[in-house]
Amino acid sequence: MKKQSRFLAAGVLLCGVVGYLMVTGMKDSMTYFLTPNELAQRLMANPSFAEEAGVRVGGRVVPGSVRFDQKTLDLRFTLVDIETGRTTFPVHYQGPLPDTFQEGRDVVVEGRYRHGQSFEATSVLTKCGSRYEAAESDFKSKQS
Amino acid sequence: MTQIGEVALWLALLVAGWGAVLGFYGGRRGRGDLVLSAERSMFAVFALLLTTSLAIIAAFLRSEFRYKYVAGYSNRELGLFYKITGLWAGQTGSLVFWALILSFFGSLVVLQNRRKNREFMPYVAATVLSVLAFFMVVVVFASNPFEVMGFVPPDGRGLNPQLQNYWMTIHPPTLYLGFTAFTIPFAFAISALLSGRLDTRWITTTRRWTLVAWFFLTCGIIFGMMWAYVELGWGGYWFWDPVENASLLPWLTGTAFLHSVMIQEKRGMLKLWNVLLVIATFLLSIFATFLTRSGLIESVHSFAENTTIAFIFLGFLSALLLASAGLVWWRRGAFKAESRLESFLSREAAFLVNNIVFISVMFAVLWGTTFPLISEGFFGQKIQVGPPFYDRVNVPLGLILLFLMGVGPVIAWRKATPRNLKRNFAAPLGMAIAVGLGLFVAGVHHPYALLTFALAAFTLTTIVVEFWKGTRARAKIEGEIAPVALLHLFERNRRRYGGYVVHAGFVICFCGFAGKAFNAEKQMALRPGESVTIASPFGHVYELTYQAMSWYPATNMTKLVATVDVKRDGRPAGMLAPEKRAYKQREEVTSEVGIRRAWNEDLYLIMAGVADAERFMSGQDPRPMATFKVLVNPLVPWIWLGGFIMAMGTLVALWPAAEVVRVTARAPARAPSPRPELVGV
Repeated sequence: MKKQSRFLAAGVLLCGVVGYLMVTGMKDSMTYFLTPNELAQRLMANPSFAEEAGVRVGGRVVPGSVRFDQKTLDLRFTLVDIETGRTTFPVHYQGPLPDTFQEGRDVVVEGRYRHGQSFEATSVLTKCGSRYEAAESDFKSKQS
Repeated sequence: MTQIGEVALWLALLVAGWGAVLGFYGGRRGRGDLVLSAERSMFAVFALLLTTSLAIIAAFLRSEFRYKYVAGYSNRELGLFYKITGLWAGQTGSLVFWALILSFFGSLVVLQNRRKNREFMPYVAATVLSVLAFFMVVVVFASNPFEVMGFVPPDGRGLNPQLQNYWMTIHPPTLYLGFTAFTIPFAFAISALLSGRLDTRWITTTRRWTLVAWFFLTCGIIFGMMWAYVELGWGGYWFWDPVENASLLPWLTGTAFLHSVMIQEKRGMLKLWNVLLVIATFLLSIFATFLTRSGLIESVHSFAENTTIAFIFLGFLSALLLASAGLVWWRRGAFKAESRLESFLSREAAFLVNNIVFISVMFAVLWGTTFPLISEGFFGQKIQVGPPFYDRVNVPLGLILLFLMGVGPVIAWRKATPRNLKRNFAAPLGMAIAVGLGLFVAGVHHPYALLTFALAAFTLTTIVVEFWKGTRARAKIEGEIAPVALLHLFERNRRRYGGYVVHAGFVICFCGFAGKAFNAEKQMALRPGESVTIASPFGHVYELTYQAMSWYPATNMTKLVATVDVKRDGRPAGMLAPEKRAYKQREEVTSEVGIRRAWNEDLYLIMAGVADAERFMSGQDPRPMATFKVLVNPLVPWIWLGGFIMAMGTLVALWPAAEVVRVTARAPARAPSPRPELVGV
């Protein structure tokens, strides 16, 4: 059954092409999820880590650090680690302010970081909007 | 009053469990009385779940905020419509809703098959009831809609503003109708495995159910895209977000299944493959439901952070997977193919490649979606893959599908002769080359987009030729005029010609997707009176002038509205009014975009921000500076048009044939039943 093995080979070839596309596609678009603390640790091990791969960092906007120019849409603020409140990164973003962006809010910034410069964010997401579920405490604070 | 709902929920769990056990046991032992009881349990579960759902809606309507679920998704100012849809606004309610739909479908199946498929029905009823019982367990023990808080808050938290949108109210139920309807073909597959009757009968019986499921799933996905387009305000309709991907996964395997069953019907091949596909589709439907509602993978619209549910669902999925795999292994001898593949140039080969491509896309999407979990599990580091990954894999595969859509339906079975190939493909190929060259000369140089349009021309031509041939043949033989002949053509072979219409719609969608290659975008901060211009890829120029800002309070929110004048090539072309809405309860701000729709493109305007909105609203600054993002999205309207055509085509394919005689339920009990078998729904 020579013919049947030819069909099999064609199928394997097709799957191989898909596999190749997947592997190369992965390389272009991998983004690491980190906290500011974890990012700092990674950078200590490899200073160019966040230049080579995209990172997605979740932290809190430091109150009083936000500078936004309405005309040029230039946003600068400081991001701090939520748990420890210590590690900070200066962030730069070019574009309109996200709808619910506020000082003291938790945000996720995505982009690349070159050592000694600002974190160049390609997107700034506010976290709160995606939480649809209410906790009991949400109602309690309103009562008082 | 509402307590009735909770009691009904418990009863539904008990009855579903009872029916599932009786169905399996009665089917094995051939005990008709037990099977009847199992089938009747289905009706009982439906009635009980309906009671539960009505009780939840009643709690919403009466603003009973002591219930955590009601308080979390409603408030006093919420409109009546959104209070009713509160049933599926959150996790626990939507699980009840899912089960309600499934019990409804299950009851329909039991009714349909009162007098036929008797050897399947015990297991079908039992399988559906088992799934229902599982959902009841989750609802009762992990996510109870009747959970009472220790106190009664004065007002609820309100519905998330982004969900207060027309598309968002019909998008989840439509998707759920699709997910749940796939349970029916799955139940028949399981019953075929259990009873050992693995011929094509379980497929022909569930053919229409598969189409119903596919219809709702397709509509649901498109509604979701429309919602994202108008509500999320970033100018796109697909983000490769985990939740979006989740709804796509069963669609991909379901579509593969719709095609591969034809090979089994006509040539007796792919028997095992079809069973596996229908099992995969059902499992992916469950996976999608659970991904949407568990928040296991971070997403722009993950709904909850209840990880208990994630583990229950994972357990259920694993159990289903093991049970199905075990059954398939047990019956492994029954899948022998009746014929073999004979040539690459055959319809079988085209359908096979179609299936491989659909499954490859499914695996790529599944891999990308779950990669944050995989990477965290294996490397201890959460890594996400972004849209470039999906584009890179799926765009070439999509183009192969586009090509196959033109080839598959017209190429000969078994082995195509050169004469057959020439007759069928000379005209489409010529058309493809003409369109490709024409567009290239006209300035379209993007390789993928160019290929998409050329292949679209190829496939559309084959479809048009098919219709033309069929109509002409009928007109000649029956002596009918062309429009009548076309109508009868549809009537005689709904599945085939409905399928062509679906293909045409899909091709138009693809052209719409390709339009993304020519998107234009601009971002500007303007004072009233200032303008911004943006060029459309079609050659004309839009000029947008920011006229004025106004604000007014509405129920539960404050609106800021910008008035923007649009000119197209210097001529007035209407007005856009993008908004910012600040919601009181949740201290949230959303954007409402302004869209000017034309047949070939959308002018899409987002008001990204208003400088010093507070000063403006207090009257100190009547002419505030505002930031606008302007996009020209070419061919986006074609996606909606294509989606509509696909839906219409599916309806044609699944509409019951006119000659079916309806059998009334009151047929005399003792009469023998040599009557013709009812077909489908």
